[in-house]
Amino acid sequence: MTLEEILAVRPAEGQPRAYSFPAFERTVLPSGLQVLAVHVPGRPLVSANLIFRRGAVDEPAELAGATVLAARAMTEGTKRYPGLELIEAAERLGSTLHVEANWDAVVASVEVAASRLRAALELLDELVERPVFPAEEVSRLRDERLNDLLQMRAEPRRRVEQAFSQTIYTGDSPYARLAGGDEKTVEPLTRDELMNVHRAFLAPAGAALVVGGDLTGLDVPRLAEDVVGSLATARGSGPGAATEVPLAGSAVDRPIVRLFHRPGSVQSEVRIGHVGLPRRVPDFHAVQVMAAILGGLFNSRLQMNLREEKGYTYGVGAGFDMRRGAGPFGVRTAVQTSVTVPAIAEALKELRRMRDSLVTDTELAAARDYLVGVFPLRFETPGAVVGAIGGLFVHDLPDDELALYRYRVEAVTAQDVLKAAVEHIHTDRLAIVLVGDADVVAGDLEAADFGELEVVREELPAGVSGEADEGAEDNG
Amino acid sequence: MTAPTVRFTDERLANGLRLIIAEDHLAPVVAVNIWYGVGSKHEVPGKTGFAHLFEHVMFQGSRHVAKTEHMALVQAAGGTLNGTTWLDRTNFFETLPSHQLELALWLEADRMATLLDALNQENLDNQREVVKNEKRSSYDNRPYGQSFIKLQELLFPPEHPYHHPTIGSMEDLEAASLEDVIAFFRTYYAPNNAVLAIAGDADPAQARGWVQRYFGEIAPNLQIPPLGDLSLPLTLGGEKREVVEDRVPLPRHYFGFRAPLFGDPRLDALEVATQILAGGKGSRLYRRLVRNERIAQDVAFFALGFVAGASMAAGQATVRPGVDPGVVERAFEEELDRLGREPVTDDELARARALIETYELEALQRVEERADRLAMFAMLLDDPEMINRQLPRYLAVTAAQIQAVAAEVLGAQNRVVLTYVPAATGPAVRGQDEEVVA
Repeated sequence: MTLEEILAVRPAEGQPRAYSFPAFERTVLPSGLQVLAVHVPGRPLVSANLIFRRGAVDEPAELAGATVLAARAMTEGTKRYPGLELIEAAERLGSTLHVEANWDAVVASVEVAASRLRAALELLDELVERPVFPAEEVSRLRDERLNDLLQMRAEPRRRVEQAFSQTIYTGDSPYARLAGGDEKTVEPLTRDELMNVHRAFLAPAGAALVVGGDLTGLDVPRLAEDVVGSLATARGSGPGAATEVPLAGSAVDRPIVRLFHRPGSVQSEVRIGHVGLPRRVPDFHAVQVMAAILGGLFNSRLQMNLREEKGYTYGVGAGFDMRRGAGPFGVRTAVQTSVTVPAIAEALKELRRMRDSLVTDTELAAARDYLVGVFPLRFETPGAVVGAIGGLFVHDLPDDELALYRYRVEAVTAQDVLKAAVEHIHTDRLAIVLVGDADVVAGDLEAADFGELEVVREELPAGVSGEADEGAEDNG
Repeated sequence: MTAPTVRFTDERLANGLRLIIAEDHLAPVVAVNIWYGVGSKHEVPGKTGFAHLFEHVMFQGSRHVAKTEHMALVQAAGGTLNGTTWLDRTNFFETLPSHQLELALWLEADRMATLLDALNQENLDNQREVVKNEKRSSYDNRPYGQSFIKLQELLFPPEHPYHHPTIGSMEDLEAASLEDVIAFFRTYYAPNNAVLAIAGDADPAQARGWVQRYFGEIAPNLQIPPLGDLSLPLTLGGEKREVVEDRVPLPRHYFGFRAPLFGDPRLDALEVATQILAGGKGSRLYRRLVRNERIAQDVAFFALGFVAGASMAAGQATVRPGVDPGVVERAFEEELDRLGREPVTDDELARARALIETYELEALQRVEERADRLAMFAMLLDDPEMINRQLPRYLAVTAAQIQAVAAEVLGAQNRVVLTYVPAATGPAVRGQDEEVVA
């Protein structure tokens, strides 16, 4: 055969190997702490996540940022390991201790060779149970956050995210804030507030330890009982936090446009969307397929239009950030300044088209096959498996959620996708939020009439001029 | 804990394509990674950014694959994909459920054999706009966005191709023509200029058969022009400084150094040194500048291995408000000098080794990383077995070797200092890392 004859025939796929999401075993310790162990054969590095089901969403508005700061300060030393001794002890095991708070939870994690799991868990327990929150380090971390906020204002990609959340949520919704807090709430935070936050989430009944990797020869429940079994009881508010659905009110009831002026910007950072969905929705899988077709796949409708046809952008995506409460739904892109208006018009067209007609069989198959096929790739390593199981705990989802994922995705129909789009994309109340050069784009935005336009010319952070200049333009 | 050995076969097809297969059936997943021996160092003045623009063109279709269909087919097969361009090379990769391996091999072969059949002005123009927007997103519209570009400019002389960035210049991107694309493809995208690595859940005999079938008849290019002499002195022979005004709220120093070539054991020592300097909260720079003296908001230090002339090491420190940037610079440089003056402690070295061991094991768990490294070591060092020797080499680095390499390259005789300061007025300066398709 000639090369041409050979290449002219597309190969058929082979026989798929059987795959199922690794099964995990649950033990509930007397303290109420859940222990979820998942054996992933052949993986000598073990991941352990200790998860507390209280996050930034659970803190009062005036303390916004306290949970994130508390998490950051927990690795700053304990009674037994003052200062950096905790970090150094972990490093001697070849591991790094991480504590992170997000909207939904606080997660302390470590990755370590299976043979050193006990020693690593002891350090994890130490920092979770007995952090000292040294006042000096707390004030340093607080200052670092304040400096980070300065940097954020100067970074269009981060600035637009903050502006988008602030625009779409009502002021009494936690999601209108930054998870890490802003200048007003972070500045007054002290050691006392962080200790209060810590006491509040340190409730074993609202916590889970997830351990994954090659667990041959390890009795994880016993190890957990030995090491974290005494996790302080009756100190926190107990279970139930996760079932409270955080407030996520929409501040927008009609299309609006909000433009944050950044002089000389060669691109406009654009977000288009509204209050979206919580993780626990009955049509989760249909929403995933719909979002993949709209803006998730490499060849999503938005990408094909804005990138591959028009060349307006390096990339465009869309999706639902699903939290315990309704996180945002948004189209996200950065487009060359001169095409800001046509790019928005095309994105709006794709949002409407998603609601107006059924996706094609080809689109449906592409999205379903991708989500189903890529599932085993996503869970190649214990770290990813442990993270996903932790998600089940945080969102209080059934144990078979991950095992059934691929079957549920396969069952999604074009009608389901249309229904999800009609129910969850609200083209009558889209907020269009931009960070870009108002002197160049405001007039066109006004004329395009996507919605009522507000131009925000704010004070830029210290040392930075807000003065407009001619703009170093390179639009070709 | 001992690192599992990556076992592989290493062979060449008659047309020169180097094929490496590393079989591992732990997960039902397979990775394909093809490295071409062409990067931004092959670009000539007036044509910068071309290797990367070309990488984008590789997704615009070939004789049997329509524009963007490459992505569609891989994703519909449940796979992930991308391509990246860097100074010394360009690569393309797919990770898929193992029963889809043949698809990836066919896709790569079709574009290696027949890309020019699908090439047209419209697709080139479209990707030119996409890449210009990539440049705007990644460099021009970001605070500190030009820093890496400027480090390259200062570290490498104008006549050396590492002087210019992989993303190129707007002017050169604008000027790229169809003829350029055709010539570039014919010159460099040949089987004898490529390494194809397959790692994961594959039957080697079957995979070899498919590679032979799809790639075996693609003609080599026996006239790939060799690069000229790109050798450079290991050190700059002095210090270069530049101050950049940008729309940034906090000053930041960037430090750049020439470094030993990729594969030189001294670079291993330098990698261990970067861990001791800035690898996490226990590191020297973090401990002193961020934690104890509180003069920096953040610190970083890393090394990038190149094969032509010199590699580079680079660091950065963001100055806290109200702190004299000079104080931060001096503290940073003192720590680098100290590394060259006295040996690191046994405990520091032990912690660095333990962490490096975990990072390496973590990375090598993934088939995508294994395929990438096999192709990398074969392409850049002609030594894929290095995948198994890299970790032992790191673990064997001694305090004396760290001290020696630090004294050799991290001092003022070999230093670039780039300082960003908040601009008094005016717009952002205009605009690095690997360039990827998405």
